[in-house]
Amino acid sequence: MIQQYINSGILEAYVTGSASEKEVEELMRMKTEYPEVSRALQELEADMEHLARHMAVEPPARTWDKISDSIDEIMLRNKHVQPFIEKEEANPRSTGRDNGQQYIEVEAESSFMRIHKAWKWVFAAVFILGKVFLACAIYFYLENRQAQQQLQEIKTELRKIKP
Amino acid sequence: MKEQLTYTETSLPSIKQAKQSLYTSYSGMLLGYIVEVVKDRTVAEKYLIDIFTGLQANDIQDIFNPDNGSVYCRLQSYARKQLCQVHNTITDRAVQPANRVTGLMNEEQQLVFCGLHYHGKSIAQLANELSKDEYTIRQILKQSFNIIRSNRK
Repeated sequence: MIQQYINSGILEAYVTGSASEKEVEELMRMKTEYPEVSRALQELEADMEHLARHMAVEPPARTWDKISDSIDEIMLRNKHVQPFIEKEEANPRSTGRDNGQQYIEVEAESSFMRIHKAWKWVFAAVFILGKVFLACAIYFYLENRQAQQQLQEIKTELRKIKP
Repeated sequence: MKEQLTYTETSLPSIKQAKQSLYTSYSGMLLGYIVEVVKDRTVAEKYLIDIFTGLQANDIQDIFNPDNGSVYCRLQSYARKQLCQVHNTITDRAVQPANRVTGLMNEEQQLVFCGLHYHGKSIAQLANELSKDEYTIRQILKQSFNIIRSNRK
């Protein structure tokens, strides 16, 4: 029975990564239950390692340095992120916990402000008054300009009359 | 009893040490495998860097877990998952790596072994391609392993 299972080719499929999830689950169970299956799997893994050694290609000398640099970058990035996490943990501004999840209140900067609705009448009144003042200013400016012109005319006439 | 290594997200130096240990022991073997998959040495080296850089704490723990079997086979399994995208782009089915181990296999055995191991094909897919049932494909795969073993011993 066990030998039949070993001979079925499932173990070979597993080591080549082509076994289905169900087959993998079954194999893991069989491996723990039957030492013969475990031994057969070890043999196949040794075969794979043997093949890999034959196919081995030496990486260029600088390859590990590149990997090391990438890891260092990640470490550095984590160091920058860590103080913020620690700060949040030390002074949590959480609004509460729900099912073990912690929600952090996020205070976003907004360019908007909230005011009472009554203020809209005040703004309307200020707007209308502004318009009235503007109309008055234009009216008095024109009146003043007209008066100045009349005054200028009178002065000119007076000069003509006086010899 | 050998103490089981534990890695957490914060213990990056120990992750780096673990990666270096894996790299020292298996980088050549893994690069050989990737070269066979992508068929380009430069691209393969880039994948090797990406694979080692992308290894996370839980992946390393999984690779070093003695219950999961051979460390190299776990590492190769991880690499296979990362190369999944490359596998999907492979359309040719008769790529035969020239080495004295797989060279001992007949054409059919090479097609099955390389299709599964290097090209990430499923048994069902190969069965369909070669017009054979899945049991036969498994048996051909088994024959391929017998050849590898006879070369090993």
